[in-house]
Amino acid sequence: MKLTQDQIQELFKFTRKHYVEYYDVQLELVDHLANGIEEVMVQRPQLTFKEALDLEFKKFGVFGFYDVIKKKSDAMHKRYWKIFFRFYKEYFKLPKVLMLFAASTLLFLVLRALPVETSKYIPGLAILIVLVLFLINVFRNRRKQRSKTRKWLLEDMIAANGNIFIYLNFALQILLFPNLIKWPLGSPLGMFMVSFVVVLIGILFHVMVNIIPHKTEELLAETYPEYKMT
Amino acid sequence: MANSKLFKGSLNTIILKLLEEKGKMYGYEITQKVKELTKGELKITEGALYPALHKLEAEGLLEAEVAKVDNRLRKYYKLTEKGEKETVNRLAELEEFIRSMHNLVNPDWSIQ
Repeated sequence: MKLTQDQIQELFKFTRKHYVEYYDVQLELVDHLANGIEEVMVQRPQLTFKEALDLEFKKFGVFGFYDVIKKKSDAMHKRYWKIFFRFYKEYFKLPKVLMLFAASTLLFLVLRALPVETSKYIPGLAILIVLVLFLINVFRNRRKQRSKTRKWLLEDMIAANGNIFIYLNFALQILLFPNLIKWPLGSPLGMFMVSFVVVLIGILFHVMVNIIPHKTEELLAETYPEYKMT
Repeated sequence: MANSKLFKGSLNTIILKLLEEKGKMYGYEITQKVKELTKGELKITEGALYPALHKLEAEGLLEAEVAKVDNRLRKYYKLTEKGEKETVNRLAELEEFIRSMHNLVNPDWSIQ
């Protein structure tokens, strides 16, 4: 016997009630529960749908769907970082690598032209300026996010990593403790290294805050074969 | 089987082996297949199967496709090229482990 559309919807509700908030995880669990219920109702026709569902859910153990959600989230984190490095790597290849060195050199020249007591504030300030420039984009992305009803795990990760406020705190820490970078600024090599790292951090934020969130649709379609079908 | 811990470490290899034979399978089908092949001796718990599938997928050993079956969507898993190669390695490792365990449990005391 096959479950009806209403019963399938009932299963989606059941997974949501058991803290499965992402549609990609719900989809697989619903199919699994449905298969189990269909089989058990053939073997024991006296059972109601609800009783059969309870029986199937018990098979997930005392923690219910917790393990499935946790491991899926871990796996998706891994996937996010793979996606991230795919885009980040681009900045170490031609032609973008030229931009990386040009920006580092420019920052180096600025640092060299200033006395250490002033230049020690520049890296934190540079990161802060970059982040403030990204802010407009972030709010634009947020607005798009809110209009969606179905939640996808990867989509949430993209949005969370695109959360500029975490990085603002990082920039403020460097600004508040500028003496931390005073020592490397004492030599030209150290000064160039600081410039290079600041640009690398800037690019990292650029990829997380600007590049990846703009490709959310494309990345969801690539990650979830079910994305286009729903 | 009384002690499922014994086969817990081999779960990923079992999944890979089944997919190598069947081409593509969905979660529920895997649990049923293992039950059938082992005549109910081994049972893959649902709480262990999906985390294992998602981990293998994240490692790039499996890829998923979705099809509409009855009135719902079903996610099928199949081996990637990397997964096919890894299956051969893991099966060899498992066979070696089984041989070693056999030697430990039934040592050959005869003088060579």
